[in-house]
Amino acid sequence: MDYKLSIKRKKYGVVITFISLLSTVLIFEYGRIEHWSFVLRILQLVSLIVLVLSITFTYVKTGLWNFTHKPIEKLDEREVALTSKSLRLSYSIFSVLVLILLMYFSIAERPLNIVLVVSLVLFAHLLPASVIIWLVKHTKKM
Amino acid sequence: MKARKIYNRIELLRKEKSITRKELANKIGVNFQTIGYLEREEYNPSLDLAFRISEVFELPIEIIFSTKPFKPLSQLLIK
Repeated sequence: MDYKLSIKRKKYGVVITFISLLSTVLIFEYGRIEHWSFVLRILQLVSLIVLVLSITFTYVKTGLWNFTHKPIEKLDEREVALTSKSLRLSYSIFSVLVLILLMYFSIAERPLNIVLVVSLVLFAHLLPASVIIWLVKHTKKM
Repeated sequence: MKARKIYNRIELLRKEKSITRKELANKIGVNFQTIGYLEREEYNPSLDLAFRISEVFELPIEIIFSTKPFKPLSQLLIK
């Protein structure tokens, strides 16, 4: 838990995490519709490894994951205010994104795949911590 | 409603008492990083937290917190 990252590096970590999450979903969707070639399998594996590494170094080792998943009784009043603000923002972002995705899948008449659903659940858990990185100015470790 | 900025003398009083941010944080029951936010005046404490801080420094709240910037110590000493 002593792993420290500057705010700038954390922001890069968030961008890498979301890009790898998106690429995992897109590669899976493409492979499902077209066919699973060897290159596609390698790409899927690489994006999954990048995703796991970026989550570990940006969220888990910095304590951000714990911070947004702690019981409210273990937070002080500034932390409660900060998590409340980040959760409110995350809820807005997440609900708009899910609405757009559901509308797209409904209009395109495509079935929802399990990777997309799992990614959305993961995204919902990562979003509050990601928003905090943008809200906090000085903190290197939560 | 946008909150007013609350100025404080926490850093000055803490250094005068020779206590670390961590020690002060333990005494008032917050994360030590919250002390940094308070000292930089980036976070306005609740009334409860303000009272806890005033109890630690054994000073009235109005000596520690103000809605107007505090005058530098040198100016106060000249008066």
